Amino acid sequence: MKRRALIAAALGTLVAASLAASASADPQAGARSEAAAVSCRGTINIGNLTVLTGPAAFLGQSQQSWAELAAKRVGAQLGLRARVIGFDTTLDPAVALTAAQRLVGNRSVIATIGPATSGGVAATSRTLADARVVHVTPSATAAALTKGGSPTATGFFYRIVADDSVQGTGQAKYAIDRLNADKATVFDAQEPYSVGLANTVERYLERRNVTVQRLSVTNSTSDFSSFVTRIPSDTDVVFTPFQVAANANQIAVLLKEQGKRAVVFGGDGTVDPAFKVPGSYVSNFAPDLASIPGRAAILNAWRRDNPGRTPDVFGPPAYGAVQSILYAVKRACAGKSSVERINVKRKMKSGPIPNWILGGSFRYSSKTNDPLNGGFWLYQVQANGSLKQIGRL
Amino acid sequence: MDYDKLFQTIVNAATLGSTYALIALGYTIVYGILKLLNFAHGDVFMVGAYVGFGILTLFGGALDPSISIWLVLILMTIAAMVACAVLGVVIERFAYRPLRSAPRIAPLISALGVSFFLSYSVQLLFGAQQRTYDSFNWDGGKLFEPAITIGSFTISWLRVITIVASIVLMLALWYLVSRTRTGKAMRATSIDLDAAAMMGIDIDKVIRFAFVLAGALAGAAGVLFALRTYLVPSMGFTPGLFAFTAAVIGGIGSIPGAMLGGILLGTVEALTVTYVTEWIGIPVGLSNLVIFSLLIVFLLIRPQGILGRPDIKKV
Repeated sequence: MKRRALIAAALGTLVAASLAASASADPQAGARSEAAAVSCRGTINIGNLTVLTGPAAFLGQSQQSWAELAAKRVGAQLGLRARVIGFDTTLDPAVALTAAQRLVGNRSVIATIGPATSGGVAATSRTLADARVVHVTPSATAAALTKGGSPTATGFFYRIVADDSVQGTGQAKYAIDRLNADKATVFDAQEPYSVGLANTVERYLERRNVTVQRLSVTNSTSDFSSFVTRIPSDTDVVFTPFQVAANANQIAVLLKEQGKRAVVFGGDGTVDPAFKVPGSYVSNFAPDLASIPGRAAILNAWRRDNPGRTPDVFGPPAYGAVQSILYAVKRACAGKSSVERINVKRKMKSGPIPNWILGGSFRYSSKTNDPLNGGFWLYQVQANGSLKQIGRL
Repeated sequence: MDYDKLFQTIVNAATLGSTYALIALGYTIVYGILKLLNFAHGDVFMVGAYVGFGILTLFGGALDPSISIWLVLILMTIAAMVACAVLGVVIERFAYRPLRSAPRIAPLISALGVSFFLSYSVQLLFGAQQRTYDSFNWDGGKLFEPAITIGSFTISWLRVITIVASIVLMLALWYLVSRTRTGKAMRATSIDLDAAAMMGIDIDKVIRFAFVLAGALAGAAGVLFALRTYLVPSMGFTPGLFAFTAAVIGGIGSIPGAMLGGILLGTVEALTVTYVTEWIGIPVGLSNLVIFSLLIVFLLIRPQGILGRPDIKKV
């Protein structure tokens, strides 16, 4: 009886303490964290909400390395001392939200690049916007983030790469016009990026009277044999808009094993050494940096900072995202000694960004926070596993 | 009737089912003796796959091996089996044995802890990025060439190797358990651990041997599975879950039951993805809904599994 009373008293104390804590919680705490000013002469901390661990870690690790390079080079060009702090979102939107909350609570972080994934943006944009944190993604391509009746991202979200309405339509058009496809299978992995891109591809194919089969898997599906068995042997193309490149590769391998002739198209999520069946196609929102004149110095600088690693097409847009933020910070700092998060937001579209990493200069669209003339580039996997740039979609 | 599709489905079922059976045997052997659900078993399977990757790299990789790639495959499998057998013994010694007399929940939690420990340790050592055996390029693509041709339908070398290797291992296990002294000791211990101890059976040795067998089978399954899929530190979760389900369907604690459960679950999965979801008009991505719904219905009808024994309450 005494023991029960003690337990009841302890529980009651706990409940009372919780209620008291929530009652005294400052509703303005989130807003206050955004009001903190950062010295323009001090270190400008930029966050990087990206996939640093898990099956898509190649993406985040590449973005982090290029973002750090941009902080060093572009910061020096602009007379700013900048640093990039990584926050791991994995592929799980719930983890992305936790990472965003940590970022927001760090008052020294003035803005962030990322989140890297469309699911991550959808999960975190409100939290970041409430704290007035500008977030510039170098890789989240879901069109619904900025387009349609009710965009899923907020006004603090910016994108420096084209979205999937360009990618999906471009891939489907190429498959029909260049490969004469009249029967297709479209996969999706039941998450925002994949479903959005798959929907765009399917809609365009159906508009052009292509017979479409839609198959849905998950990122945790490990054996695709039975799914590939469902694909008719007279299918011409298979679209695999996955974030896990090895899944797309397995489908391409299994098609050959089962004697099916379909060609596989992967999205930007499958631009990875793990996707290597010769003859397959991938598209990406950035061209090969080596194909852009005048980029040798940046490539060499990256190689010096990252010995033993090979540059890929995901990293340079992260460099561009940092460029975008640092130019906004520079403009916000003009004539001032400190800058707040909201000031960065106000200067994001105040002028072009010259000497853009991906060539020429960069501007945002006046209607959305997407790039003015973004595009996708198509690559084909060669016999040695390397990617050959085919052209702009 | 598309016979090619049907034959391919049967081959898919046999491939999937044999993998599940190998992993399920590990669950059932350990449960049969210790009444412990070894939740770390899926990650032992994952470690086996990575050991195989390490051996492949040691011998020069898929594209330029220093010896015949087929010999490399045998060495990969043996190394994975040995490594996972040792791992099983280590896990038993440090994570389960100290908790043998503890309430049953304690070793269960310990098993979950070991599971996380293994997957994050592998991530720390190998990184989180996807890796493959690059089996598509082995010997100029030989692994995916037809080994058996029936009319217009072919079965690749990969499938034949996977199915035959699994059958050989299951037969070896059957022989060991049913025809050797150690196997007899294992069967006695699984019936009544205390009575077996009183009859002079070294229980610790039997339990160790059970983990050796379970680990070895999981290691082999890991290599065979990674041959046709890929490697990430989290790869053990889904096959482990399905294999555990197979062990339960077959009758947890029953070795023939685990084999049967594995084959049955592989067949249900293959049929569901290829045919059933289309017939009932639901997206194929919901195939797991169908599979686990069938499981629930089955267990309601026969909770002890196909070959399991109902719990006998002594009065």
